[in-house]
Amino acid sequence: MTPKKRLNYSYYPGCSLHASGREYDISTRALFKALGLGLKEVPDWFCCGATPAHNVDELLSLSLCAKNLKMAEEVEGDLAVACAACFSRLKHAQHKITHDETRRRQVETAIDGPADVKKPVKHILEILAREVGLAKLEENVKKPLLGLKVACYYGCLLTRPPEVPELDDCEDPSIMEDILRALGAEPVQWSHRMECCGANFTLSRPGVVMKLSNAILDSAQFAKADCIMVACPLCHGNLDIRQESIENKNQASYELPIFYFTQLVALALGVPSTDLGFDSVIIDPRPLLREKQLI
Amino acid sequence: MSRIGVFVCHCGENISRTVDVEQVAAAAGNIPGVAFSCDYKYMCSDPGQNLLKKAIAEHNLTGVVVAACSPRMHEKTFRKAAGAAGLNPYVCEMANIREHCSWVHENREMATAKASDIVHLMVERVKKGKSLAPITVPVTKKALVIGGGIAGIQAALDIADAGHQVLVVEREPSIGGHMAQLSETFPTLDCSQCIMTPKMVDVANHPNITLYSYSEIEKVEGYIGNFQVTVRKKARSVDESKCTGCGVCIAKCPKKKIPNEFDQGHGMRSAIYVPFPQAVPNTPVIDRENCTMFQSGKCGVCAKVCGPGAVDYQQEDTLTVESIGAIVVATGFKLYSIDRKPEGSMIQGYGEFGYGTIPDIVDGMTFERLASASGPTGGKILRPSDGKEPKQIVFIQCVGSRAREKGISYCSKICCMYTAKHTMLYHHKVHDGQAYVFFMDARTPGKGYDEFWRRAVEEEEAVYIRGMVSRMYQKGDKIIVMGSDTLVGVQVEIEADMVVLATAVQPQEGADLLAQKLGISYDKYNFYSEAHAKLKPVECATAGIYLAGACQGPKDIPDTVSQASAAAAKVMTLFAKDQLERDPVVAKVNEKYCVGCFACKKVCPYGAIEEKEIKDRQGNVVKVIAYVNPGVCGGCGTCQATCPSKTVELDGYTDEQIMAMIETL
Repeated sequence: MTPKKRLNYSYYPGCSLHASGREYDISTRALFKALGLGLKEVPDWFCCGATPAHNVDELLSLSLCAKNLKMAEEVEGDLAVACAACFSRLKHAQHKITHDETRRRQVETAIDGPADVKKPVKHILEILAREVGLAKLEENVKKPLLGLKVACYYGCLLTRPPEVPELDDCEDPSIMEDILRALGAEPVQWSHRMECCGANFTLSRPGVVMKLSNAILDSAQFAKADCIMVACPLCHGNLDIRQESIENKNQASYELPIFYFTQLVALALGVPSTDLGFDSVIIDPRPLLREKQLI
Repeated sequence: MSRIGVFVCHCGENISRTVDVEQVAAAAGNIPGVAFSCDYKYMCSDPGQNLLKKAIAEHNLTGVVVAACSPRMHEKTFRKAAGAAGLNPYVCEMANIREHCSWVHENREMATAKASDIVHLMVERVKKGKSLAPITVPVTKKALVIGGGIAGIQAALDIADAGHQVLVVEREPSIGGHMAQLSETFPTLDCSQCIMTPKMVDVANHPNITLYSYSEIEKVEGYIGNFQVTVRKKARSVDESKCTGCGVCIAKCPKKKIPNEFDQGHGMRSAIYVPFPQAVPNTPVIDRENCTMFQSGKCGVCAKVCGPGAVDYQQEDTLTVESIGAIVVATGFKLYSIDRKPEGSMIQGYGEFGYGTIPDIVDGMTFERLASASGPTGGKILRPSDGKEPKQIVFIQCVGSRAREKGISYCSKICCMYTAKHTMLYHHKVHDGQAYVFFMDARTPGKGYDEFWRRAVEEEEAVYIRGMVSRMYQKGDKIIVMGSDTLVGVQVEIEADMVVLATAVQPQEGADLLAQKLGISYDKYNFYSEAHAKLKPVECATAGIYLAGACQGPKDIPDTVSQASAAAAKVMTLFAKDQLERDPVVAKVNEKYCVGCFACKKVCPYGAIEEKEIKDRQGNVVKVIAYVNPGVCGGCGTCQATCPSKTVELDGYTDEQIMAMIETL
């Protein structure tokens, strides 16, 4: 057998993954290690601008992303991104700069140099489903997630707008479900896969988040899910950190652990649960995992 | 010595704005062999044509060049005028100084020089031109109608009533098409079956109509007036000549739980079946995939109970070749089934609407069946999941239509009207129910159409909400419909019992493959293309083939019937003469020099090249050479460019003519 060349990726974690979503970062690194994939963080990366930048000044948002993408050029391999918002902003900037000549020139003035943003930006879901491949994932499963009913939650940014992320069907994706099935878990059919959780309003207008995230939790419970799986640190925050106050406000009881998909995939591939940051979330997922005999 | 006349047209200001026409006419006068030149404001007008006729007579002209618009526009006009003045029409040529010059240039000086060059080229070509005689081909006065829906039925009846033979080929076991499935029709709410089934019977009984049901077009060869069409009659497993249509086989068939396609899968049928009781022909067909006899070899009940012994399990597909003079294509439409994006399709799915996963979200045609007295619920509006009467029903228009981001940008044209009709049918049957309609625009042009829609809103209590739906999901036994009301500017959420989607009209399955067999063109959605959007709406660019109904674009019943009658009229025009005159611009082989390599045969896109044996006086074959069938030749000149020995030439475009043109440059 000829040894296959190791796939290497450059890595843009984004601010959340170094702070409130550190378990996303930890599990991503563990997952790549388990799959034998190289993952090298882009040195000196900075914030993509997230929602605030593009709401205030599109050029600022594009320039922040362009600069980051340019730095990523220095590191080997396609750019792997975990955070749904960073992924959306980087892809968006890439799309805009490639398709809008005027904008590209403005960005070049702003960053004082050519806007070389050709490096493919890939979400980790995409890397798992398409580059590693579902078959190989299935082959490498050490601990199938049997009996675990999961509500896959995509949120707003991962697949939208239709022409930008090129991840999956914009309004009816299945990439998360496909991956979960390969791991032996049971994705549930539910209604709120694509609805907004309230996102940044969590700080300025928490009432909005209470309402929207409640609808998501309610719908997942209605579909008899054991837990929700997400790909966005902000969704995670709203569904996990705010879950108790949502329950109180709506006289409901959910107790739904919120997983990052990287945590569940890594777990199925045999990464020890102690390496996946399960202790740094609010709704402790370990009782559920114990009940399902997964830890 | 040639005596050519050059006539330069101003085309109002279309040409004279950028081209100095007087200068062009003057320059043409100096070309050797030009005996007369002039310019005129509208050469195609009566005085203009008279100018040409007069000059031919007075100056004894041997050829004419009209410097004006494209030959596609007025070549016929001027050739007719030249012919009337006693000149052979084929020594009259157009020099296109409008589309090829004045319309595309701005610099007057350069455009004038180019126009003079174009005129000079054509003068040289005409000098070397020959008199040609039109080719006549015989016409087989038998029409083929492909598709037995309302379009095909109307066209077939009209042609047959005019006394011509018609062959109707229908893919399904019965004719009737979609119209037979409808409950009631807008804008009069008359029963669709009541107006449709008599016409179906007329087709079956007409002495001039031969009906091939459960058959498909296998191959089409030939040309206008002389098509050879191979029809595949699919094995019905029932001998049509013996079957009396008594229906005992259907009653006794033990396999009865097969979803009936005619009822959009909501009613059940047996394995040997007719799609609906009024089917024409009333001859059952065995669905071999679902028949126990065909699947396991054990059953044979239908053969046992059949009195006349018509059931024939051994029956095979048969191929029949028919000589046909004209073809009417009336293959109709299908509704876009929205789910996920089909593989390789440019059209996106509507997974967010839950179609296919939520049973009470149905399409418009399913609602027609539910509302139809002959449908699976006997005309009661009952939802598929639990058979309950829906008290809140939501209709959504423009699902798939006018949605560029989903891949279809056109308007499906019929949905505004049929949705208004659906709300009325619902209101008539469920008195305490409420209908909501999400719509983008209400597009209701047509006689009595807007009044009909207003009636739905004002008298039949349908609530119209201007806006689209973003998502639907099941909650308990309700469907939550999330949408927006853009007139009020609010988000709306409706708890519906049932949802009906007016999905886009698309061409029938396999429309592209049939077009390839026929050699007709189609657009990116597979709708067939008419020869001219305004002036030739029922003709195909391929001579002798005509279009009727929704295969050309979304259409309602009145429009379909009008177009079908128009197509029939075109066929009758063709059949009015015994011989058909064709332009003589066809290739000819110089038999003396042809060596019979048949390089031309390989490249001919029309299949016009045949093999011809040259015999001596004793009847021995001396050589085999190429022969161009003038009836089939399309005059493209590909053979001329290919022939290594230059023995095949296109009349009107001979090498000599082309070389003379090139030399003037």
